[in-house]
Amino acid sequence: MSTLINIKENQDAWQSGMAKNITFIVTKDCQLACKYCYLVGKNVKERMPWEVAKTFIDYVLDHENDSEFAMESVIWEFIGGEPFLEIELIDKICDYIKMELFRRNHHWFNSYRFSFSTNGINYHEKAVQDFIKKNRDHLSIGITIDGTEKKHDMNRVWKQPVADDNGLTKPSERGSYKDVVKNIPLWLEQFPGGGTKVTISSADIPYITESVLHLYSLGIHEVNINVVFEDVWQDGDDLKFEEQLMQLADAIIDGGYYQDYACSFFSEHIGKPQDPVLDNQNWCGAGKMLSVDAAGNLYPCTRFAQYSLRDKEAWIIGNIHDGIDKNKLRPFLTLDRTTQSPQKCIECEVASGCAWCQGENYDAAHTHTVFQRATAICLMHKARVRANNYYWNKLYRKLELEDLREQYEANKREVKPEIC
Amino acid sequence: MLQYLVILLDDTSVAYCHADNPLKERCLMPIETLKKGILFGMKHNLMIQYVFPDHALPDEYVSVIESIDNVKIYPMGCKPVTGIGVESEADVEVANSISNKVAAKNLVLRLTFSEMLKQKDNIAKLFASGARINLCITDMEQFTDEQIEVYRNLLEEWNGALLNLYKQGQSPQFNLLTDRMVLDKMHNCEAGVSNITLAPNGKFYLCPAFYYDEQMKVDNQLNHHQPTSDYSVGDLEKFLDIPNQQLLKLDHAPLCRVCDAYQCRRCIWLNRKLTWDHNTPSHQQCVMAHIERNASRDLLNEIRKMGDFMPEIQIKEIHYLDPFDVRKEF
Repeated sequence: MSTLINIKENQDAWQSGMAKNITFIVTKDCQLACKYCYLVGKNVKERMPWEVAKTFIDYVLDHENDSEFAMESVIWEFIGGEPFLEIELIDKICDYIKMELFRRNHHWFNSYRFSFSTNGINYHEKAVQDFIKKNRDHLSIGITIDGTEKKHDMNRVWKQPVADDNGLTKPSERGSYKDVVKNIPLWLEQFPGGGTKVTISSADIPYITESVLHLYSLGIHEVNINVVFEDVWQDGDDLKFEEQLMQLADAIIDGGYYQDYACSFFSEHIGKPQDPVLDNQNWCGAGKMLSVDAAGNLYPCTRFAQYSLRDKEAWIIGNIHDGIDKNKLRPFLTLDRTTQSPQKCIECEVASGCAWCQGENYDAAHTHTVFQRATAICLMHKARVRANNYYWNKLYRKLELEDLREQYEANKREVKPEIC
Repeated sequence: MLQYLVILLDDTSVAYCHADNPLKERCLMPIETLKKGILFGMKHNLMIQYVFPDHALPDEYVSVIESIDNVKIYPMGCKPVTGIGVESEADVEVANSISNKVAAKNLVLRLTFSEMLKQKDNIAKLFASGARINLCITDMEQFTDEQIEVYRNLLEEWNGALLNLYKQGQSPQFNLLTDRMVLDKMHNCEAGVSNITLAPNGKFYLCPAFYYDEQMKVDNQLNHHQPTSDYSVGDLEKFLDIPNQQLLKLDHAPLCRVCDAYQCRRCIWLNRKLTWDHNTPSHQQCVMAHIERNASRDLLNEIRKMGDFMPEIQIKEIHYLDPFDVRKEF
């Protein structure tokens, strides 16, 4: 009898598709000034006051019966900048949420998560650790580490100690790898299934393989990796990218990592044509989510706040006092794939899995619209598909030779459609 | 495909649609610009629609204006004197209040919702005038769900007046109620698709409202570093350049392309103002258009009790007023 085959896949988010995602932009400050960061307006000035947070929570919970808040569960997400810079505020917010959910007998009581994506720098500090202990059963925390020290420090650098006259922060030359990696063991002890996010820009391509393997060696079993959506790509990047991914495929398969480690670049479900009617759903969840910033303005996603936008004005859909202007949400909730896509995407033979970010689409659009899909990653997606095909063909053959293919096909997980 | 060129002869040319004209200072289109505009229209096979101000134009403009077949849109009581005996059946008179005298075959009546309610009987009297009545509600964005029943009742009342005229053998034309009865597909404004506007500054705009916004310095929200109010989509030197023109078309409007409130104006300026996207109608626009659609259905059913009438037209019964609420069923 053959060994029971397991191929690790990237995990769905908690209550995927059934949870409302509500995001507090608690600060626009961060210790780092990562070179690829889409948050072009990070600053030290905009920190969320408690009164704004409380009024927002009251608004959300007061509207329990509205269709926007009818979902079964809720993920309260905290984002920055670096959210843990505001751990005292966050602790107060979370206590208030828990108390109010109980007091109101709200349908989200005991069906909530607090979610964080952190740079990991102050993860070990007492205030953060106390918070984790207090909320352990309702927490999801991801630490971002980009790979090897060289790869990580190319982009993820400390900010300069002094902000400019507008409070905007600038990058320094000091990398942050050592300050982050020291906290990885503690994080993995507390969140053994924790995954990290890796971002690839043009200069990072040569370091993909070694970086993913390095993260595996740190004990991180799930690497969620993506190329940036912005138009940063240079001629030939797609071919270099394909080559790196094929090297990575060889390393994962030959080293047997596929059984216990996942890398989101490789998926059986990408690279197929998409039916214009049956596969017409939007990729991105903007509009189904709700974000609030320090001024109490509401957004369809944090990517529509001013600090995320290079050119366009913020897409504010309301504020904590007047509530949501539902007219401003209508474009988001009527988006579909084909209406926003150019013909080349609709006809693309390898369309599935090609992602987009509604915020980047808006920022790059020629008019004030969310219906113009940015296609800067087109060649990168096609390169990924070629390498992905190589990965699966090689892996299938290996399984066949080991007499495990049928077992794998019979037991593999049903995959839900990916959504941002 | 472009079919019409709207030429605003002056900054104070009459507003004839949802947007008020806030420009109060006269600024006449230079005659050379006018000539170039006419030439543009001729080269692109466009029917020219002149929009007049409430003051007389200099004599030298008359012969230029009449150098091409045209439609005139003018303020009530200010019928342009051009010396040309041929009057177009399509000429449009625009009024911001009720008058018993309608000079043109087409009247655009621009009223707020509350004015419309106050003047409902006088409006009903216009149905028998023989003119086509286009009622344009100028504060549609203020409409609330609490007014749904009020609007429904008003249209029902007007249906009674229209039905009486049909019984007398007349064929009144009132955009809110009789248009849908004869339409089997969308018939909307189509700004930027079938028509384009040339302003006195020699630039093209999707419709006059975008020119007003530019002149009133309404930020176009495209660049937060250097805010600008430029809404133009080309000029007479470089011709048309309409970015994302596909989003102005019906097939790129997810709500509208499955809708059968065919008489809806589908005003892209209101869309832009209320939802921030040209191709997405506001709740107000959808609800009002569906109240009209349903009232048209009632009128059609009543007329059919008298005999055959537009047998090819079907308006089915529906149970929503805003397609957005049932979008998952489409």
